[in-house]
Amino acid sequence: MIVRLFALALAFAMSTATMRAQEVDRTLPSQLSAPTRATLERLIDSARVAGLPVDPLYSKVREGVFRGADEPRVLAAVQRLTRDLADASSALGDSAGAEEIAAGANALRAGLRPTDLSRLRESRGRRPDHPLTVALVVLADLATRGVPPAMAAASVNELVARNVSDGSLLSFRQNVERDLVGGRSAASALDARTRAMIDDRRP
Amino acid sequence: MSEPDDPRWLDDVAGELRREVPVRPAWRARLLDDVARAPKPSVRDIADDVFGDDEPALDRGRRRWSITVAPLTGLAAASLLVALGAGVMYVAMSSKTAGADESQRAAHDGPSAASPQLVSRTPTATDREVVRFELSAPRASHVALVGSFNEWNPVATPLSRDPASGKWVVSLRLPPGRHVYAFVVDGDVTADPSAPRAADDDFGSPNSVVLVSSPRT
Repeated sequence: MIVRLFALALAFAMSTATMRAQEVDRTLPSQLSAPTRATLERLIDSARVAGLPVDPLYSKVREGVFRGADEPRVLAAVQRLTRDLADASSALGDSAGAEEIAAGANALRAGLRPTDLSRLRESRGRRPDHPLTVALVVLADLATRGVPPAMAAASVNELVARNVSDGSLLSFRQNVERDLVGGRSAASALDARTRAMIDDRRP
Repeated sequence: MSEPDDPRWLDDVAGELRREVPVRPAWRARLLDDVARAPKPSVRDIADDVFGDDEPALDRGRRRWSITVAPLTGLAAASLLVALGAGVMYVAMSSKTAGADESQRAAHDGPSAASPQLVSRTPTATDREVVRFELSAPRASHVALVGSFNEWNPVATPLSRDPASGKWVVSLRLPPGRHVYAFVVDGDVTADPSAPRAADDDFGSPNSVVLVSSPRT
């Protein structure tokens, strides 16, 4: 019996250790009123039960408090992010990880459509296990810089379909950004940079 | 509390019952993770669940979930107590050294084995070792880093001026994942001009994104 108790205690201690290793601060700031905290907890609990990543939601709350936003604004931001996470999760499919879903939610926020995300997932083709996080981050970035979302989606889709590496995708983003800052039109910059990247990959 | 013949006593009781009961976040998270593994409703309704829907998705789901609590036998109860004690002792011992200050330590330890060059311009690291943030702000008198990795705490991660380059720099040990951040330059929040932007301008200016991939296996 002592051995059994010891084994049980050890198992519990080990599971606690694992939890600590993954731990993030999943508490709500005390600066918020009790009713707001209660509403946020319900919202975050609903997200967790639905299998959505909740760390971005906690982060959004803390960002709102840091930036001095009033409570309705914090609630609205968290509610909107929850919807985006849910839509991104649906669009990216069951195999999507937390980072992909968070990046997908951000891409939706930037103006991409859920169908753009689904198409990107299909373009992954031969690399079904390769995360789309970088591609989604690049998409969101381009859209926030004024590139029409549909145009950005078409270019990134083409690069993902050709198995362009994550590092190359980030270089692509930097090059397009440089072109835009230099006064080139979004369509011209995207077209030139996409073609250049595809040409580089030809043997 | 008021006397029972005073009609307000019922309000007092109700108010007392409604009072928030603190629950440990880790326990709450574990319970909800268990619930999450059960058959669940569609994710599309989750936000409506809180902000007004005649029949919330979560409630529809709850009807299918029934929880049966089996009575604890004496042996099981004793085992549980010992296990809880061991867990509490472990947490107490490990909390002195655990991760919250790790980022700060990395910042003061200076460059690590992982090349800071890897992340100096576009902060994407291939290892979780160190991510170096830098900002050119020659006229600034104070620069700090805020983000999802430091609870958006503006005093947690100050940058220091690099005498060689004149840039404001800090190196952090970050876990793998996608992190959202911004700089605070003399009180003003600004995105990192060298990093991908996040489209989340809910509270004003947009943030930046740093990607840290999982350690190589």
